[in-house]
Amino acid sequence: MSNNIITAENLTLAYDSTDKIINNASFSIKKGDFVFITGPSGSGKSTLLKAFYGNLKPQEGELEIGGLSMLNINKNKLQELRTHLGIVFQDYKLINEWTVEKNVVLPLWIAGYSAEVQSNQAKRLLHHVKLTGKEDKYPMELSGGEQQRVGVARAMAKNPFLILADEPTGNLDEYSSNVIWDLMENACQQLDTTVVVVTHRIPMMFNIPYRHFSIDEGGNIYEVH
Amino acid sequence: MKFIKTHLSLIFPLVAILLGLEFFIVFDRTTDSFEKSLQNEYTMMVVSKNEMSIDDFQSWDKHILRVEEIKKSKILSSVNIDLENDQGTKLKDSLPNFYSVKLDSYLSISELAEVKSNLKKSEGITRIETFNSVYQSQYELFSFIKFSFHTFIIFMTVIGFFLILKQMEVWNFLHAQRMKVMEIFGASLFLRSKVLINLAIIDAVLSAIITSGIFFAIQNLWVRDTQMNILKENVESVFYFSDFFILLFASIFVVLVSVFLVVINVKDE
Repeated sequence: MSNNIITAENLTLAYDSTDKIINNASFSIKKGDFVFITGPSGSGKSTLLKAFYGNLKPQEGELEIGGLSMLNINKNKLQELRTHLGIVFQDYKLINEWTVEKNVVLPLWIAGYSAEVQSNQAKRLLHHVKLTGKEDKYPMELSGGEQQRVGVARAMAKNPFLILADEPTGNLDEYSSNVIWDLMENACQQLDTTVVVVTHRIPMMFNIPYRHFSIDEGGNIYEVH
Repeated sequence: MKFIKTHLSLIFPLVAILLGLEFFIVFDRTTDSFEKSLQNEYTMMVVSKNEMSIDDFQSWDKHILRVEEIKKSKILSSVNIDLENDQGTKLKDSLPNFYSVKLDSYLSISELAEVKSNLKKSEGITRIETFNSVYQSQYELFSFIKFSFHTFIIFMTVIGFFLILKQMEVWNFLHAQRMKVMEIFGASLFLRSKVLINLAIIDAVLSAIITSGIFFAIQNLWVRDTQMNILKENVESVFYFSDFFILLFASIFVVLVSVFLVVINVKDE
């Protein structure tokens, strides 16, 4: 059985038929890989991530996530797949009218876990992202770095098999960036979680082996060795 | 304050629609009994050479409900003619038959004319008196009031729907981000809409209670003391307890349709 979490074969992504964003890409990402995807602005990094969580269908070629073809996936299967993904956004995408704790346990709430499990997991994760004591705060009461740490805690709440992060430390201070990279490294090393991070720049102090894919302006993807 | 504002902006148009619906129900109920009383009071007079039974009348027109023969002796005694003497007996024998005819419903003027022309087809019937002018004035007034009310109610309902659509746009704006995030994390349509459904159902229940309260107050604080016969005779028709459930069902239906419209209009990012 294949150990691949993500497989792309001649993958082409586009928002309309004339303007191809990702062009005929083939690559695979294995279980437990830590992958950085870099490239200039507008090269299609975030678009590729969208395709990974099923927000954009491949125009040509094949893309498989967790063994499911994203070309023909139906709504129910996609919904099910998404409950096993952890997604981190550059703009955090927290629910502003919910408390920090409620935001963190969103994936557990969706999966129908008991309030006790949700509460315990929230405490554990908020401790890891150094936000203990802020459970009852609302996102707007937190700094950008703190909000992103809530976003990362949310992505990890249900121990996903794949974490997708779009510029997770884009505009953050060093402290918040370090907390986030530590958490992702730990998830990858200790839980064998696959992590795919889209970023402009790979952090200088990165402690675990990683793979690096680059996208050029023509939407071609190649692995940097 | 924000909470009250959020609820009131949906409750107002909902109450407008429910008031329209309840007015419609009450109006139909009260006018129905008024219509029945008009119908009961109304009779046609038919003069026939031959004796006719109810079946004979109904064979000419299906709207004939009841027929009563007016005794010739009663007519003659009302004009002080002695029936004991020969002249009186001869007069009685020469008189045609008089019938008072009741109809099965409150007919329009044209329908009434049709009944008349149907009956005239009978060879025996020599004269039909429909008392058209009294009937027509009552009928036209009644129709006018009914039409005005229905127009007013339709107008209220349309305005209510427009206000609800406006509120839905606001909801769409307020809740779209949350629903998108939930969708990305794999929440079902029901989970994504749960907050909206809860909000909408609370508003639907409150609107049904407010509308029922208004009609209960109208019934007990105003209608019981009114001098208007049509209302006075139908005090109980102004509000039945079962109306609350009709209003509740209607308001829940309206808000669920609205929530559904909001949810399906939230697009993926």
